[in-house]
Amino acid sequence: MLFENIKLAFSAMRGSKMRTALSLLGIVIGVASVVAILTIGQSASSSITDSIAVGGLDMITVYPSYAQRSTGTFDEEFSDTLLRDIEGLTTVLPQNNSSAQIRSGQETISASVSGVLSSYGEVLNLEYTEGSFFESMDNINYRQVIVLGSDVAEELFPYQSAVGQYVSVFRNQAKSYLVVGVLESKDATFNLSYDNTVFIPYNTYGQRFTNTYGVGAYVLKVQDGYDTIEVSDRVTEYLDGIVGSDGYNIFSPASLAEMANEITGTFSAFLAAIAAISLLVGGIGIMNIMLVSVAERTKEIGIRKALGASPNVIRGQFICEALTLTIIGGLLGIALGAFISYGVTNVMNWSLHLSYTSVILALGFSMFVGVFFGWYPAMKASRLDPIDALNYE
Amino acid sequence: MEQNVIHLEDIRRYYVMGDFMVKALDGVTLSIKKGEFTSIMGPSGSGKSTMMNLIGCLDTPTSGLIDIDGENTAGLNETELAYIRNQKVGFVFQQFNLLGKLTALENVVTPLLYAGMGVRERKQKAADALERVGLADRMYHRPNELSGGQKQRVAIARALVNNPTILLADEPTGALDSKTGSQIMELFEELNAEGRTVILVTHDKELGMRCHRQIHLRDGKLEEGYAV
Repeated sequence: MLFENIKLAFSAMRGSKMRTALSLLGIVIGVASVVAILTIGQSASSSITDSIAVGGLDMITVYPSYAQRSTGTFDEEFSDTLLRDIEGLTTVLPQNNSSAQIRSGQETISASVSGVLSSYGEVLNLEYTEGSFFESMDNINYRQVIVLGSDVAEELFPYQSAVGQYVSVFRNQAKSYLVVGVLESKDATFNLSYDNTVFIPYNTYGQRFTNTYGVGAYVLKVQDGYDTIEVSDRVTEYLDGIVGSDGYNIFSPASLAEMANEITGTFSAFLAAIAAISLLVGGIGIMNIMLVSVAERTKEIGIRKALGASPNVIRGQFICEALTLTIIGGLLGIALGAFISYGVTNVMNWSLHLSYTSVILALGFSMFVGVFFGWYPAMKASRLDPIDALNYE
Repeated sequence: MEQNVIHLEDIRRYYVMGDFMVKALDGVTLSIKKGEFTSIMGPSGSGKSTMMNLIGCLDTPTSGLIDIDGENTAGLNETELAYIRNQKVGFVFQQFNLLGKLTALENVVTPLLYAGMGVRERKQKAADALERVGLADRMYHRPNELSGGQKQRVAIARALVNNPTILLADEPTGALDSKTGSQIMELFEELNAEGRTVILVTHDKELGMRCHRQIHLRDGKLEEGYAV
């Protein structure tokens, strides 16, 4: 019976191709927009996550507030305190930042200067086009050595190798630093641009740049197997207890990624909901064509009733017809939506993440639309009086 | 005692049309026995069609009782009436009433589909029925590829296919030329000779007289002198 009903549905569609195509269009557009929006949203979101992940999804940075920096709470030893008191950390590194002019020969560039320990390079998995990070002895001995970000090296030493050369760093007075390494270019993540940063030993920084004992930032690395966001929450709770929430800022790519995912997720869900409205409108189109179909086939319904079709059978036939319509529309819409997503992600240079949820959702929803909007015309058909229907011309 | 396949007991069927009450049937009592070849005759408006619709369970009476094959149809719902139409009644209409998009075979299969028969069996039975009416070579033709007489044969095959108790024909030759009409009439006579109960609704006296029994209706009542 199902097979016969599907066959009947196709024969009805063949009978009025243009009308069928037009009413299908509503469903096709609705489904295509739901699929495209969710797929593009998912692709955008994973592309954002990828770019955030460059900063290290296992890293957390804590910035003490300016006011707290002079109170003495946030000193170098506080690194060890954090490492000891918070579960799930492998390393805590103190870091100081400021900006300075850097010069070599006639070239001058403004860059961010970071005073860090020698293990920083290893902890952040930095890679080098030449040379390497400085050694712990450089820090212990307050040596004036420097690692350049790729943009800085490119600007100051466009035609020659930077390692082994000297650069001047201006801060109150110019000091000469020996270049020991140049970093490979890395995508920037929000405020973390490695390319325009130079790194000098922590102690050297302390001697040359700051006279306060405070630490500008702590770089925390999360142990394997621990969830960065959970650890980050623990750090927050811990620091709130010590200095209150105003006393510091915390930043982790992971929580940023989560936030970005939430935003794109909410956004695309919102857009998909709007697109779903067009599906609903498509459903009204289906209802319309079904009502026309029932009216046109009144005589047929009468004949079928005379041959022994019960009201249920007639209703089944027309619901099946509506369902066939919407399923075809749904499949076409999924194809169109996937095609649009492919085009958009291609242009945006994102990797395509086809949202299977949206495919199932869209198909399910269009089937629901078929049953929902097919119900009334089918009911109408099933309730026709057999004699009136038979005598209908 | 001979078996009544149809028994009507004081049947009334009234319609309201605007301000008037139309008494299409007004107190008809009638029995038809198994294997009878009966014509229901009368001028237009006499209630012939109403009677056929009632016997065929397409309609329900305003009052009175109808037994079809020993089953009282009073109070049955649409689904139950559909079942009786499917199992006990085969309709043949003046305008053939074939389903235009289906082939002859598919048309004949339809009642078996509603009877819930399996694919292979219903195809076989439908093919047999078409063969019985002499259309074995027209099975895959659509109605618009058939002549009037052939269409009516398909309709008869469709009426026969589920082996109904009653064959109900409403002016079956009305849309055919006299020669074809006569052939169709012969087919009904053959089917009756095979033991089927046939009821022919017609206003054509000649045709009516070819049946073994005539029932005359006038103004919704059985006509005097023909009382049964």
